[in-house]
Amino acid sequence: MTTTSPQRPLPSANRPKMERRPRANFETWSWYFMRVSGLILIFLALLHFSITHILYDVTDTDAKFVAARWDNPLWRAYDWLLLALGLFHGLNGLRFIMDDYVRNPKRRAVVKAVLYTITGALFAYGTLTIVTFKA
Amino acid sequence: MSPATSSTVYKGKSGQWAFVLHRVTGFLVFMFLLLHVVDVSLVNTPRLYNQVHQLYGNVLLRLFEVGLLASLLFHAFNGLRIVMIDFFPNALRNEKVMFRIVVFFTLVLSAIGGYIILRPFIEGRIL
Repeated sequence: MTTTSPQRPLPSANRPKMERRPRANFETWSWYFMRVSGLILIFLALLHFSITHILYDVTDTDAKFVAARWDNPLWRAYDWLLLALGLFHGLNGLRFIMDDYVRNPKRRAVVKAVLYTITGALFAYGTLTIVTFKA
Repeated sequence: MSPATSSTVYKGKSGQWAFVLHRVTGFLVFMFLLLHVVDVSLVNTPRLYNQVHQLYGNVLLRLFEVGLLASLLFHAFNGLRIVMIDFFPNALRNEKVMFRIVVFFTLVLSAIGGYIILRPFIEGRIL
């Protein structure tokens, strides 16, 4: 999101070197995470969609299809990476949206608590499914 | 301007549209992901999993899949545009052209993918 990019301070000759860059706080890491995870997700998500909706029809992706794919641990790793990056990229994006639109601090805390709980629970549930599945 | 409007509105025309669409498509894809974790986890009960995925094959949910594809494509291409603007300062000059390219590829690839997804319906094999 261009609106959240770290601001570049004006170049000043007398300023000590350390102050030219903003201190790397949580929001700086969040900003980098969105870009790095986003670039990876472009490939992971579009390839995943192309396989399950374009190469195969959605009605062909039955339980046998999943079992055959998850026979290979690399596909499990692929799906888990897509799950983790997708959920946390989306969660962080929704965090920006709530900071912008839910202005009441109490209500914002409640909405965020609900969202973090749901996302955390589904991350655990999805991970459990991918790791423990037996054909 | 009150803080409630100043944080999310700026004079940008295409930039403003890109910003709004990026949020809306991101929200939609995330909501689908939450549902998708649940429907895939049904795989431990194969009969139920297969029934749900047969349901995904009806025309209404196929249209929903085309919407998901369009959202995914827009969010991916516009995300690439944002990264280019952030990391290559000169890219800002071509921001409007890049937005048109994003819209163009989103529409073309959604149309091709949408045709493939809806083909069983178009050919009259399903209702």
